[in-house]
Amino acid sequence: MPVVQLAGVTKTYENKVAVRDLSLSIEAGQMFGLLGPNGAGKTSSIRMMMGITLPDSGRIELFEKPFARKSLERVGYLPEERGLYKKMKVLDQLIFFGELHGLADGDARKRATDWAARLDIAESLDKKTEELSKGMQQKIQFIGTVLHSPKLIVMDEPFSGLDPVNAVLLERTLLELKEEGSAILFSTHRMDQVEKLCDSICLINNGQAVLSGRMREIKSRYERNHVIVEFEGSADFLKSSEIAEAKNFSGHAEIRLKEHGDAQKLLHEAAAGARIYRFELVEPSLEEIFIRTVGGKADA
Amino acid sequence: MPEHLRNMLLIARREYLEQIRGRAFRMSTIGLPALFAAILGVAWLASQGMGGNKHYVVACQDPALANAVRDQLLGQKEKKPTVDVIDPTAPGARESLTRLAQSKSVDGVLIIHTHLGGLPTASYYSSSSGDFITAAKLSEALNNGLVDEDLTTKGTTQADADAIVKGVTIATFLVKKDGSIVKSNAEATFWKGYVMAILLSMTTLIYGMNVARSIIQEKTSRIFEVMLATVKPSDMLAGKLIGAGSVGLTQILIWVVAGAVLVASPLAAAILTGQYAVHFSLAEGILFPVYFVLGFLLYSSLFAGLAATCETEQELQMYMPLAAAPTWLSFALIVVIMNDSNSVWAIAASLFPPTAPIIMFLRMAAEMPPAWQFAASIALMIISIWAILWISSRLYRVGILMYGKRATLPELVRWLRYS
Repeated sequence: MPVVQLAGVTKTYENKVAVRDLSLSIEAGQMFGLLGPNGAGKTSSIRMMMGITLPDSGRIELFEKPFARKSLERVGYLPEERGLYKKMKVLDQLIFFGELHGLADGDARKRATDWAARLDIAESLDKKTEELSKGMQQKIQFIGTVLHSPKLIVMDEPFSGLDPVNAVLLERTLLELKEEGSAILFSTHRMDQVEKLCDSICLINNGQAVLSGRMREIKSRYERNHVIVEFEGSADFLKSSEIAEAKNFSGHAEIRLKEHGDAQKLLHEAAAGARIYRFELVEPSLEEIFIRTVGGKADA
Repeated sequence: MPEHLRNMLLIARREYLEQIRGRAFRMSTIGLPALFAAILGVAWLASQGMGGNKHYVVACQDPALANAVRDQLLGQKEKKPTVDVIDPTAPGARESLTRLAQSKSVDGVLIIHTHLGGLPTASYYSSSSGDFITAAKLSEALNNGLVDEDLTTKGTTQADADAIVKGVTIATFLVKKDGSIVKSNAEATFWKGYVMAILLSMTTLIYGMNVARSIIQEKTSRIFEVMLATVKPSDMLAGKLIGAGSVGLTQILIWVVAGAVLVASPLAAAILTGQYAVHFSLAEGILFPVYFVLGFLLYSSLFAGLAATCETEQELQMYMPLAAAPTWLSFALIVVIMNDSNSVWAIAASLFPPTAPIIMFLRMAAEMPPAWQFAASIALMIISIWAILWISSRLYRVGILMYGKRATLPELVRWLRYS
């Protein structure tokens, strides 16, 4: 069942087309990555999904119904521009967010306490937000997003500003929420996280979807023309006519073959001058696909 | 409860609790009346001391007139000055008198020149040119002295002449619409209207500015986008206005209760009887909160629209005096209203929504305006509030998500068109 569906959505500001004819669909229990260089239209697309701005044309459906504010009670949103009431106590703040999403005071309080324990910030509940570190505030913002057990979680750059330990904690929590059946959409510049977490992606550039679909299926569209070689001895084989580009890290080489380049021939050439410990033909990374797709325009 | 109403009330409650619990609320609730009382106290003390410890010299060829002027100066209600009377006919007397003023040995020298068959002329020499109050007192003393002297010369006894010069005090009474007559005190009534108008304007502006400041703070803290995913901008704005307005009403209520307790005390009762007796009517009790709420909504919705277009509190501060200009205009019209509270200007200003709340209270102090004028001013205010809210909520809706630069006028027009 599609939890959110965009069909031919277009949004223009002044003379700039922010989003052009964008279509995508996210199923329940799916983790979806929205990728694209800065200014590609990711935030504009997300804001339209959340009803913060309205599309000029196209259709947005939430939970298989045309967009209605009522549906937002089942959605959790973590915007890129995060914000909390600085003077308010953390627990009061979380209860307030919960109540805005239709929870009763007592229920919101219990959930906030449980989530704080789960994310290891229980001791901060009685503090004012301004007394906490940025990372802590980000965790509180995340709790505010998921407190009401939304069926759709939309997050704009959720990993920005998080240290590696908390980034792993967030990844783990997102996977748990996905297991519980929530659909999760997030935008990010971190390709490694998308590769690790997402089932499907949509890559947008200049407001248009340039690549979308299930991760596996997208990767399979690209031929396996990447080779990783671990070796000892001469590196002369890196000058082979089969190679388009090579990076040598003293005994560890990452190679991109030319179109229709012959990996078997390269293996022979390498083995002729060096002892080969590993020779692996791999599919291109998402980062590689990203850069190849959006050309040199990406500043991510 | 409908969802939008619930959200609106949740936002109002949050806004209310945050402000009520804040230090600024406690400080202003106690500090403002204390400051007000201090200003009035200092003014009263200063007026008590005015004219006291002053030393004047009255120089006149006619000793009877000089003494009459001296008696007038010594007979004034305020603290009595020291008055020396001298004969200025000695050679070089005028120069030595002006030197007295120059060396500040005396506060001033009044030289009276008498002319046969005509009115005398007078000059006052002092090292301070700005003391117009003293000049007015001396003028009054001289004129009264002249009349006093003239009457006694023509055979009136000194006691009768003094009584005539002292004048007659007029007791003022107010004839009510129902025909009943009550003793009134124009001065006390004026001050009552003035204080209520100040209270109204101060609270309206303070809480209007609070709304604006709160919007800027939320804009700076980037919380709007989180909120907008759940709450409609119009509900957010309405909740904010209700919350901040309730804080204002709470503060006024605290002042009114504290005032009532104070008035009920024996000390206050002793002070507030007689010439200072002030009576509050039921109409004033009803109209004050009505005009407070309307005035607050008018100014705070205007400030809210302004705040949505600004980036920082400093930027907002630049526009505030402009937005608050009608309040200052209202107070500038006091003389016009006190002179004739039913003049065209007074009626027009009391119907003009930005000045209506204050002007109405000033007019009520002089004379209760007819009911239709209240109805018209309230109706015009409601229409204006609706219009300003319409514009402000559109500016708010777009402006709260605009970061980084100040909006230009053409951009603001486009914002209105977007929404």
